[in-house]
Amino acid sequence: MKMEEVSMSSLDNSKLEALAQDILSDLVEDACLGLCFEVHRAVKQGYFFLDDTDQESMRDFEIVDQPGLDVFGQVFNQWKNKECVCPNCSRSIAASRFAPHLEKCLGMGRNSSRIANRRIVTGNNTNNKSESDQEDNDDVNDNDWSYGAEKKAKKRKSDKNPNSPRRSKSFKHKSSTASKVSQDSEAHAPPKDSYTAPARPVGMMGPRRRMDNQESPRMLMKDETFSQ
Amino acid sequence: MSKDYQLRAAINQKLIEMGERERLKELLRAKLVECGWKDQLKAHCKDVIREKGLDHVTVEDLVTEVTPKGRALVPDSVKKELLQRIRAFLVQHAAM
Repeated sequence: MKMEEVSMSSLDNSKLEALAQDILSDLVEDACLGLCFEVHRAVKQGYFFLDDTDQESMRDFEIVDQPGLDVFGQVFNQWKNKECVCPNCSRSIAASRFAPHLEKCLGMGRNSSRIANRRIVTGNNTNNKSESDQEDNDDVNDNDWSYGAEKKAKKRKSDKNPNSPRRSKSFKHKSSTASKVSQDSEAHAPPKDSYTAPARPVGMMGPRRRMDNQESPRMLMKDETFSQ
Repeated sequence: MSKDYQLRAAINQKLIEMGERERLKELLRAKLVECGWKDQLKAHCKDVIREKGLDHVTVEDLVTEVTPKGRALVPDSVKKELLQRIRAFLVQHAAM
């Protein structure tokens, strides 16, 4: 290649250094020229002095540098202790607690359990299932702890994916899910020697077995452990 | 010597061909903006323009006034970094 034609012996450190300096100097000059052209064009087109406003406006919007104030001169937690009136329950709430209060009050937050609250309020006489299905369909997905809706959702889910290790979504409703878990495990898990339906050694805690331990708290039977 | 000259020409050509010169230029520009060199120099330009009169400024005026100051104002750290990169390129591509 071309480089090899030129004598490489001429390449020593000082020359290299000088070369590098020259290249740098060229680059810097390019940058300066670039700036000159930019400025000259701005001058001729008339937008060079555009960011210089009159003295008065510049004083108005100057950056504020005092303790306790932000750069605009506003006080930091000015509205912390103000009180707001809740539009729902017409109570006077402190500003910093207002948002969480609204969540609970309107029943729209994550843990607000609106359906449960409604049931408590309206009593258990009316037909709970139909109410929760039709009116609160949009809430079904929001509420984790909604009892009636969860049963329905659970049935669909277990049909979809019988082989997933995660069977029960919530561990709160033991009675409803425990029976389901034991059914599934017997259908799909490979049969193990020591496992008969009610008797399980307390020490073995697989993800599916948690429910059953609570249901049948038996003491460890020696035969069962050692028969493995 | 002509060998030197040939060498320089060859290296410069390689710099351009490989796009390295463009990259170096962009790098230098970015660093100069970062360190405030551009703003400093722009302020100096403002003075020159006010001095010469807004309507009568020419490119040559600006260049003669601004370039020497611009060269002097480049901070050492920027110079060092650029030199490092240039040296690395030379070592790699001058086929030592």
